Amino acid sequence: MTTRHERIGALWTAALSPGAWVIALLAIGSGIAVLAMPVRDEPGLEVWIFAFEHGQMYEPVADEWTAETGTEVNVRVFGIPALARRVMGGFFSGIETADLIECERQMVGPMFAGPVESVGFTDLTERIEAEGLMGRINAPSFTPWMSRGRVFGLPHDVHPVLLGYRSDIVEAAGIDMSEIETWDDFQRVLRPLMADTDGDGRPDRYLLSFWENHLENLEVLLLQGGGSMFDMDGVCTLGSERNAEILAEVLSWCMGDDRFCTEINEWSNAGHMQTIEGYAIGYLMPDWMCGIWMRQMPQLEGTVKLMPLPAFEPGGRRTSVRGGSMMGIPKTTDQPDVAWELIRELYLSRDVARELYESNGIISPVTELWDDPMYDEPSAFFSGQAVGRAYIGEAPNVPPRPASPYYRSAQLRLQDAAVITGERARAAGMSTPEEILPLAREALADAQASIERQMARNVFIGEDE
Amino acid sequence: MARAPTNANKAAYLFLAPFLVVFAVFTLYPLVLSGVLAVQQTHGPDHARFVGLDNFIGLATDPLFHKALGNTIIYTLGSLLIQLPLALGLAMLLNQPSLRGRWFYRLIFFSPQLMGLVFVAMLAALVFEKRAGLLNQALQWALDGWLDPETAFPWMAVLDGVTWLDFPWLQSFVMPALILVSLWMYIGYNMVYFLAALQSIDKSLVEACAVDGAGPVTRFFAVTVPSIRPVASFVVLLSLIGSLQLFELPYILLDQTAGPQNRGLTIVMYLYQSGFEAGDLGYASAIGWVLALMLVALALGQVFIMRREER
Repeated sequence: MTTRHERIGALWTAALSPGAWVIALLAIGSGIAVLAMPVRDEPGLEVWIFAFEHGQMYEPVADEWTAETGTEVNVRVFGIPALARRVMGGFFSGIETADLIECERQMVGPMFAGPVESVGFTDLTERIEAEGLMGRINAPSFTPWMSRGRVFGLPHDVHPVLLGYRSDIVEAAGIDMSEIETWDDFQRVLRPLMADTDGDGRPDRYLLSFWENHLENLEVLLLQGGGSMFDMDGVCTLGSERNAEILAEVLSWCMGDDRFCTEINEWSNAGHMQTIEGYAIGYLMPDWMCGIWMRQMPQLEGTVKLMPLPAFEPGGRRTSVRGGSMMGIPKTTDQPDVAWELIRELYLSRDVARELYESNGIISPVTELWDDPMYDEPSAFFSGQAVGRAYIGEAPNVPPRPASPYYRSAQLRLQDAAVITGERARAAGMSTPEEILPLAREALADAQASIERQMARNVFIGEDE
Repeated sequence: MARAPTNANKAAYLFLAPFLVVFAVFTLYPLVLSGVLAVQQTHGPDHARFVGLDNFIGLATDPLFHKALGNTIIYTLGSLLIQLPLALGLAMLLNQPSLRGRWFYRLIFFSPQLMGLVFVAMLAALVFEKRAGLLNQALQWALDGWLDPETAFPWMAVLDGVTWLDFPWLQSFVMPALILVSLWMYIGYNMVYFLAALQSIDKSLVEACAVDGAGPVTRFFAVTVPSIRPVASFVVLLSLIGSLQLFELPYILLDQTAGPQNRGLTIVMYLYQSGFEAGDLGYASAIGWVLALMLVALALGQVFIMRREER
């Protein structure tokens, strides 16, 4: 049996063994190496963006700007979730992020959840007003980046939505699309295309790629029809009667024997195959989707055309909006004026606007650039149509989307309401808007109550008013 | 009067110091802070309000939290009641000396574990896709003409007029889809534990039982089950903890959402959504504490049951 003294000796021997020394030396050495490592501090402006294509557009302009001003520009591209986590992490902990950040619409909601002075982006309202940019940029484009009347970013785009349709199929059937003004016209005029020629008891194709669980397209149609999720004061309006009417209407498109919609995954290869095969005739197409179609489905060249969305009633709105991004200046930057100069260069430049359109099909929100002849050039992909002009024609009519910290939650609750209404309607054998309307009202009222419950928990809301 | 530390204690503390420092900085300190956050509402580093137990009260009345809890329990039950018995069955099958190529089958069943969960989720999203997905294509090929979804599930109105090609796995059958994927992913993993336990059973006990005239079922309940009980308890606890922490699989499978009607919402996903998508760190901390308490309760329950059985 060992004595206490021997046990202590053994412990100290172990502590002073060569192994212990190697570990200790490694720890000390690596610690010193990490401390001695220079902090990466690149000169100039750090810009974080989420789209590789945007980086390609900005590079030549930034190089030119660097040559003129002597300020370097370091552009870093992140995926949207990665960028959102970095920005949120920086804003919530008060640590430095970048000098300029380009944000996608769904990222910004939580940033506006606290007192207005706690928003991580610099308030650009005075700068924008002083330079008259409110009048130079399409007005609805500002709304997603505003909170409590203050503007926190310069808009990058408009993103109007038009109806893309398979002109080859439609024209082969001798159908005249100019007869279509409303969604009722749309289904009436195109209905012959839903014939069952292969005898399997189902239509060979459907008229519109839309389904009740498609969150973004639900919002597109809701906004087009005059619905909304929040008013300009930030009050949740999900349960409004207009929303219920639109929801009942669009759900009826997916129900019963007369349904004319189908679900096509707009991002997968399988979905692209269905689009190429003409499984659906019409698609809700924001301008950015044109660029994606041209890159990912070049086989469709010459078989697609665009037209304004059919309205919900004669004389109604013929467009909507989907997506959007902005560039803002985090409060932690020590060069806000230089950063502002770069935003102006990137977002108001004619060269960038041209690149934006030619590479991605996206029209600029700067109205004074809309007279550029490039927007009138015929597109071979879209059967010779002047695609840019078609989108610009509807750009001023894009519905506003008031920002709210709860916008994303409201989108999800809208989707829930649509799905549950759809299921209840199917279970009850309902298929007309009139039958579905009470169910839609009930589901949307629940959705609104859910958002209001969430908002009621926020102790910061109302403090600035 | 406090006793002065002995040299032996000093040496022990010296050895423990690296772990204790790391534990204090990276576990204990964040844990205390999350406890503080759970009774606050914050926005950024400079705006915090003490809200007492409001976050916990909010959770108690939050239908989304209830939904997340319900989904997590369904998934957990699916894991325990379907996955573990199948894993045990598979282990017993692959423990048969007469089965040729056992090593190959063991490798095959274990191999999904070699893939990352994120990759599995992305793969599963393709498998469950409507029309082009492998599973729906297979169902259509196998069942078209003699059984349609409407007939198979007459109580599901959502399937009215739907073909197998359009079977809405990721729209209406999210939890079954998740259980299927995790079955594929984890059955081999759990099988390995059971296999190890089965191989450690004293063969003389089984033989003695057989000599006494016991059939396979009696032998299973009289010898096999008691022998593998410690390992089975461990596997049950692991599955419980893993199931309650479910997040990546549904999050990626459902394209970074909880799916229609929050059918794929789990407790950890709700925590993530609240903290990192809605920016409500206090509420997220409260969810984290509730989950932690549930896990502690389950672990204590497990220990209690084990001790009682040992007695």
